[in-house]
Amino acid sequence: MTRIAINEWPPNSPPDLAKKENVLLVARLMANAALTAPVSGGVPSWEAEIAHGEKEIERIAREMERLAHHEVPKKLTKPFLYQAAMIRESDAILFIGTFRAHATPMDVGCGLCGGEPDCSFFYDRVSQVDGVVDDTDRERSTAIRGPLCMLRVHDLGYAVGSALWIASTHLVDAMPSYPAGLAARNLDFCIHSEVVVGLPIAVLAKNPFVDISPDYHMNNMGKMVDGVRRWGVIPRQLAMVNMRLHDPTTAKAKKTTK
Amino acid sequence: MAIHDGNEAAYDHLLEVAKACAVAAARAPTVTGKLGIKMEIVTDEDQKPMIEVLEALGKASLFQRVDANSYRKLIDAGTAPPVLLLGADLTEAIGWDCGGCGFSTCGEFMKYLRKNKGVGAGAYGPTCMWKALDFGIAADHACACAAMHRVEARIQFSMGAVSMLLGRLDGCSFVLGLPMGPLGSDIWFDRKHWQGELDYEALRQTVLAGAPNLAMAFAGGGNPIMKTKQRWWEAPDFMKVEQDEEFLTLAAEGQEAAYRKIMEHAGVLDEDEES
Repeated sequence: MTRIAINEWPPNSPPDLAKKENVLLVARLMANAALTAPVSGGVPSWEAEIAHGEKEIERIAREMERLAHHEVPKKLTKPFLYQAAMIRESDAILFIGTFRAHATPMDVGCGLCGGEPDCSFFYDRVSQVDGVVDDTDRERSTAIRGPLCMLRVHDLGYAVGSALWIASTHLVDAMPSYPAGLAARNLDFCIHSEVVVGLPIAVLAKNPFVDISPDYHMNNMGKMVDGVRRWGVIPRQLAMVNMRLHDPTTAKAKKTTK
Repeated sequence: MAIHDGNEAAYDHLLEVAKACAVAAARAPTVTGKLGIKMEIVTDEDQKPMIEVLEALGKASLFQRVDANSYRKLIDAGTAPPVLLLGADLTEAIGWDCGGCGFSTCGEFMKYLRKNKGVGAGAYGPTCMWKALDFGIAADHACACAAMHRVEARIQFSMGAVSMLLGRLDGCSFVLGLPMGPLGSDIWFDRKHWQGELDYEALRQTVLAGAPNLAMAFAGGGNPIMKTKQRWWEAPDFMKVEQDEEFLTLAAEGQEAAYRKIMEHAGVLDEDEES
C-alpha cells in the first residue's frame, strides 16, 4: 500500500511536489496536443520544451525581470514584472516555438507579411541565396529578429491553442505568455526557434494568472508570506511569557495581572 | 413527442456546433487580449458565390480545386456543411516594439502600413506578429471545439480567402473558413469526393512535385535521370528547370476569372458581360 499526500501548500513540500508531478503529466499532454494541432499544409514546424522545478523556473523569472528593466519598452515593464511573479507560482512552464517562421517560410504569397501577392517583403529583408535563408547570423536589434513568415507565426498559434485547450480540459490553469517565452528563448529553450511562447501551468486553489493587483511584483503571495515571516516574530518577543512559571490565561492570573 | 430521423437531426445539429465553435473562438485566451475576432456562419445557398470563385481559382491550382470540388458536390447533394467564418484585423500594431514584423518599432510598422497595405493570395498585410499568433489560438479553439463534438474540423485558408474577397467580415485582414462536417468520416480528409478527379499519372506527378529527390537517380553526373517509369533507364527523363509559360497563362486566367466572379457578385459587373 502506498499513500500519496497531495496538497498545494506549503510550496515545494512533499505534498506540493507530488502535485507538481501531476501537473507535469498535463504539461506533457499539452506538448503532445501542440504537436498534433492543425497547421498549414500539415508541415512539421514546432518544437516544445518544459521547465519544471523551482530553480529552473526562478532562472526564467529572473531573465523576465532583466528584460523588464533593461530591454523592453517602458509600457511592457510592469507586465513583464507581474508575469515573473506569476510564473514563480506556476508548477511547470511549457514552451512552444516555431523553427520555421524566420528560416523557412510557407512561400505561398498569402500577403500576410507585406501585403503583396508574393513573398518579396520577407525575402527582400533577410540574408538569402536563391530563396534559401542564411539564418546563421542571430544578432538582434529588436526583441525578435524580423521579418518573419506570418503564416508560420499564425500556425504557431494553433500549437499554443491546442496546448491551452488540453490545460483547460484538465481544469488546470494556464496562459500564453510573451515575457516567459522571450526569457526562455534567451536561455536557449526551444533553441531552433526565433519566436517562443511560454505557457505557465499551475494547480492552485486560486488561479495565479488572473486577478492581478497593481504592483503585483511587490505584493504577491510570496512577498506577503515573507512579510509574515519578517514581522510575525518581532512582537512575539514583547508579548512573551515564561511559560514554565506563568500562564496569563487562567482566571487567577488574569486578576493579578496589571 | 416525436420520432426524429437520426441523420437529419445530426445534420441540423451541425449549426449548433458551429455556434459552440464560435463561443470557443471568442473565449480563447490570447497573448495580446486585443484580437477583436469577427465571425459569421454561412449556410447553403449563401456559399455558392464562394464556391464559384474557388472553382475559378482551381483551374490553375489544385489547392483551391480540391476544396471547390468537395463544396460543389456537397451543396449539390443538399448536404452543404455550415461554414464558420473567422476573421480579424491583424494589421493594427499593439505597441510592444518586438520587431517580429521586420520593423524596429510599431510606429515604423504603422507608417509602412499606411502607404503599402495590400492584399496577397488571401490576406492583407503587413501583419502584427502577435495578432497573427492570437488569431491562430482562436482558430485552433474553434477546431478543437468541433473535434470535441466529433465533427470533422479542417480549417481552410481557401474558403476564408474567397469569403474575404467577396466582402464577408468587413474590415478583417485575414479570414478563415471552418466547415462543420457534415456527416460521415471522409469529407475533408481522405476525400471521397476527390476520387477519380486525377488519373493515376496525375497523382504520380503530384507526388513527384512534393519530393523530386525520391525519384532521382545518381546525381553525380550533374544531370540526374528522374525515375518516372518502371524501366526508367530506357529513354530516360531528366530533371530540368524552366519557365512554364503555359502554367503562368493558366494561373493568370484563373485569377482573372476569379476576380470577374467577385465583381459580378459585388454588382460591379453584369453576368452578361462575361466573355
